Amino acid sequence: MSTQRYRFGFDIGGTFTDFVLVDVVSGEIRSYKTLTTPRQPARAVLEGWHQLLGEANAAGSEVVSAIHGTTLITNALIERKGAVTILLTTRGFSDVLDTQREMRYDIYDLHAPPVTHLVPRPLRFEIDERLDGLGNELEPLDVTSLEQLSETLEKAGVTDRIEAIAVCFLHAYANPAHEQATCDWLKARFPQAAISASSAVAPEIREYERMSTTVCNAYVQPLTERYLARLYRELTQAGLEKDLYLMLSSGGITALKTAGEYPVRMIESGPAAGVLAAVFYGEMLGESNLVSFDMGGTTAKMCVIEDGRPAMADNFEVARVHRFKRGSGLPVRVPTIELIEIGAGGGSIAYVDELGLLKVGPESSGADPGPACYGQGGDQPTVTDADLLLGYLNPHYFLGGRITLDRDAAARAVERHVAEPLGVSITQAAAGIYQVVNENMISATRVHVAERGVDPRGLKLIAFGGAGPVHAYPIARALKMQGYICPPGAGVTSALGFLTAPVAFDFVRTFIAQIKPATLAEMDEIYAELEAQGRSTLLKAGIPAQEIEFTRSADLRHMGQGHEISVVLPYARLADVDLDEELRPFFYAHYADIYGYAHRHLGVEVTACRLRASGPVPHIRLSNPDMSDDAVAPDLSAARALKETRAVYFDELNDFVETPVYDRHRLTVGMRIAGPAVVEEQNSTAVIGPSATAVVDKTANLVVILDYSE
Amino acid sequence: MTSNIAGDVTDIDPISLEIQWQRLVAIADEIDTAVIRTSFSTIVGESHDFGCAIMDASGAGLTQAQWSPPQFCTMLPRTTRDMLKKFPAAALEEGDVLATNDPWIGSTHLPDYNLVSPVFHKGKLVAFLGTVAHVSDVGGHLGDLEASDMFMEGTRLMPNKFYARGQVVPIVEEFIAANCRVPEMVLGDLHAIVGTHRIGIKRIQEFLDDYRLDDIESLSHAIQGRSERALREAIAALPDGVSEYEITADGYLEPFTLRIRLEIRGSDLYMDFAGSSPQQWHSAINAAFNISYSTAVYPIKCMLAAHIPNNDGLVRPLHITAPEGSIVNCTFPAPVKARAKVIKHIPPLIFGALADLLPDEVIAAAGGIFPFHIVGQDARYGRFAVHMLPHGGLGATQDADGLLPAAYPHNSTVTPTEIIEKQCPIVMTRKAMLTDSGGAGKRRGGPGQEIALRHIGREPIMLTIRPDLMKYPAPGLHGGDAGALGDVFFEGVRLERFVPIQWQPGEEVVLRVPGGGGYGDPLERERADVQADVTSGLVSLEAARDIYGLDVRFDPEELQLEAIRACVENRFAD
Repeated sequence: MSTQRYRFGFDIGGTFTDFVLVDVVSGEIRSYKTLTTPRQPARAVLEGWHQLLGEANAAGSEVVSAIHGTTLITNALIERKGAVTILLTTRGFSDVLDTQREMRYDIYDLHAPPVTHLVPRPLRFEIDERLDGLGNELEPLDVTSLEQLSETLEKAGVTDRIEAIAVCFLHAYANPAHEQATCDWLKARFPQAAISASSAVAPEIREYERMSTTVCNAYVQPLTERYLARLYRELTQAGLEKDLYLMLSSGGITALKTAGEYPVRMIESGPAAGVLAAVFYGEMLGESNLVSFDMGGTTAKMCVIEDGRPAMADNFEVARVHRFKRGSGLPVRVPTIELIEIGAGGGSIAYVDELGLLKVGPESSGADPGPACYGQGGDQPTVTDADLLLGYLNPHYFLGGRITLDRDAAARAVERHVAEPLGVSITQAAAGIYQVVNENMISATRVHVAERGVDPRGLKLIAFGGAGPVHAYPIARALKMQGYICPPGAGVTSALGFLTAPVAFDFVRTFIAQIKPATLAEMDEIYAELEAQGRSTLLKAGIPAQEIEFTRSADLRHMGQGHEISVVLPYARLADVDLDEELRPFFYAHYADIYGYAHRHLGVEVTACRLRASGPVPHIRLSNPDMSDDAVAPDLSAARALKETRAVYFDELNDFVETPVYDRHRLTVGMRIAGPAVVEEQNSTAVIGPSATAVVDKTANLVVILDYSE
Repeated sequence: MTSNIAGDVTDIDPISLEIQWQRLVAIADEIDTAVIRTSFSTIVGESHDFGCAIMDASGAGLTQAQWSPPQFCTMLPRTTRDMLKKFPAAALEEGDVLATNDPWIGSTHLPDYNLVSPVFHKGKLVAFLGTVAHVSDVGGHLGDLEASDMFMEGTRLMPNKFYARGQVVPIVEEFIAANCRVPEMVLGDLHAIVGTHRIGIKRIQEFLDDYRLDDIESLSHAIQGRSERALREAIAALPDGVSEYEITADGYLEPFTLRIRLEIRGSDLYMDFAGSSPQQWHSAINAAFNISYSTAVYPIKCMLAAHIPNNDGLVRPLHITAPEGSIVNCTFPAPVKARAKVIKHIPPLIFGALADLLPDEVIAAAGGIFPFHIVGQDARYGRFAVHMLPHGGLGATQDADGLLPAAYPHNSTVTPTEIIEKQCPIVMTRKAMLTDSGGAGKRRGGPGQEIALRHIGREPIMLTIRPDLMKYPAPGLHGGDAGALGDVFFEGVRLERFVPIQWQPGEEVVLRVPGGGGYGDPLERERADVQADVTSGLVSLEAARDIYGLDVRFDPEELQLEAIRACVENRFAD
């Protein structure tokens, strides 16, 4: 028996902390969920640690790695509970944090609140130094301006209360010398402060976005470092002998120290893990082209996965003033799995607007009072209320029976707020709520898929979250996807992503030049430098040099164009690549895939070189204890898992039909269920529509295939 | 629901309507995003000076991209219908793209190119996609303000097919290219827009297939009918009556006055610009009616129908008129390039007229925008044409201080300093908010900003600046003060005339973009708010004492230290 056979993953969310423990030898998986303990997050973590190790009868020394993701950093940004941070900018530019891109995120709402950043004006200091647009020094760094700032803080009596310092100088992406010298000076003068330099945190052109990212990083760095150190100490005391790794928004994991330096890279770690879990399930099924679809109580999140690779973005927004309004948050320029998030969840509230139209969300009833059918005083109709009235949910088996849903309360809410104002029946109103919320998700998914240049007909949806499998059918069908997959235990699946992520870190260098043969050699040099950084970062994370892989990509555009596309370069040495025969056609083809055409007469310009350094992808094989191969029943009829039948509404049939309801926990491998049907398990319900057939695969996934022949 | 209110809503059920309408909005948004991502110029890609709309087969506006500037999208349907006079449906084929930059047909100055593509479905014309974008150059003189007619301002393309059956029309392409200074950039943007139309056309066809629709007529009818009815209800809820308002503004060589008479009668709203100044032949500030019209729609929509996606149903209850030959309805061939200097005053004019009736909805005047544009070439940077649109502060409302420098009423964004400096040999030495520039008030106007630029190249650069509010500031409302005036200095000398400047190496230009107007009596401002403004440096000690009546006792250094302490302590407090 191996002495190191377990991987332990945990995700600290706002409400729950989720745990998963996988035995990499047997493929056995255990999960646990407990309430988050916000004041001392480690408490809940230790509870889960002891619980799962106890169940597995395992010792801490048998855990080969512990991987962690958290929303604590995001929450600190949203609640503005980060460090006392000062910002140093180039002289004349400290107001950029306020003036931003000078745009309004809502054209017609003249009362929309402004986006206020994290460092107030008096805590911003301007430094004498200047580079030009090509990175050449125009004015040297003048240390006297640093000394003045230090004196000012000293006079104010706050020197030792400065916990974090962000440094963002113009054009530091092209030449970090002034920032580095400044940081060295600051380290000596403010030994207690965490220091973030823009050239290290987000070395990309566009000063506001880079400044914002650097400030966000500095603002959460002290608390992240404290928190991680403490967590690691406690886990070590509880028996962990190996390293603690942190999940990043990019879908990679990294060593504790690196994560502590770049906390801004961890903001979307939880959702990223969910997407990786989808990738993992896809791999098990031999499906590499998917859309992960996670629908919870408040939001739905979608992500395209192509050839097993999730869609990536190089920026997103955090702490939005208006949760779903683009431009109302603080921009963060770091690599991240690109999730489309919209205000569509089980708790989304339905109402009739000033035009007499039915709207659903983005406002949510939240957990309290929750949907009307929870009977906790909520009287607004929600998506969950509609799902109940349409027969998708079982009032006596919601969350495994922990809550009994009140059908009458749901009907009253829908009648009063939707059916009566629209002059339709309660059923029509409920079906309308279901349709409208679905259409919101369909629309967002359609645009997201289209913007990647992907044809949805080649994709399957993989549905997570409490409400995901209830809504997967109409979404997959509207997008003409092949089908959808409902993994077992919708709540566990996301945390599983922690255990399947490779150690990986992304590096970038802004480099703007027309691509000529000489440029290719320069790019090789840049990649070589980035590889050296990557090697050093991954070695620190315990990855042996020979196992480190590098993926090069570049942001490319037509000569003179304003925006670029990121393209993975399949070339180890660009200097060997024929520009006109190989590289240019390669770019045009990628461009045309996305936008339908390319300007083939124009040259190609590079704007950034990107490098991902990654270690091996951990291989986990899941076995389901209840579904070993011996358990394959000779009788593949699902009849013995049948619980009951009930009336369920299907839009395409325009009516309720008596529909079989199956117990997911009694389904066995190979069973086939023809729609319409409902499959219930403890924390979620899968709806199989009339034009679909579900098969239970050998790891207990429900694989639903859609039939488009009519 | 009031029975005498027009707007037929019976022909499509509200659930299907919501779903199909949102689908159209999503299509317009997708086109909008694609334009940004595929464009070539800073003015489109970074400053977002473009708009996208979907029209029905008659040219009525159905929806716009959520981020598109409001005026563009109210104009595009009018432009499309004008183009249809020359190219009626029978003259259009799949793959055609119509183009024009005619100021009287289009969006009223030559740099705005309007591209309109018919959408066919099963052989039938069902819709139009339209995009208007400010291209980098259309020839003509390099200045903005001094012209005696439109012919000096560049070349004009009357409505023509830019693409016919999917193929570019060589003579049109050559005409555009041959008459501008940066043909790759201009054609790059125009072809990119055609590419986004192809995407949009495909999306509309998929949409019709999905819902098994042959056309969008009944959908269009329902969208416009519902919207019209909602706006009519909002108007009908206001008391009938007349109000008038007047604003005098800088103009260029001489000031001008805008007057409005606004009448609410039942569910209709009449706005008449009679009494406004006549058009001017010495300054290119004249507005053709299209843009005056669409700008007048904007404040009404903000106040009465902010959440309804833009469509032509929302203009039906509005009756907007202006005397021909006036500065808001100029006649051919008046010079029009800098018409923004006139139309920016239309929203404050209308808000001013409604300030007593809707005190909680109106907003004071904004500091506006100081566009600057440079053209030149340099051994290290190559040829360049760069636009930057720095904004002033916004006006205050009854509930909130004016926003910091931001676009209004359009929605452009400022080009990042680093992008500018990467493209041309200039260095911005300062971009900072100006103390005491936001109009004082119970709610303070948004501050303006100062931008200083130095030429670090070796060859002269042509610089064009179009400032405003240098003589007449952005007025406040309900007792609020006006914002600070704007200013431009060239090598320390205050400029009065704004012809293109030969900018020599080493010389410095300073722009002071004005602040927005305040709202309410400054003496009623919360003392803590005044203190906070002093602390953050937006209001001086003198202004706090003299205008707000708050005596803050620190000397400047002590004030800074106190501000730092306050920020640190405040942080520890929460």
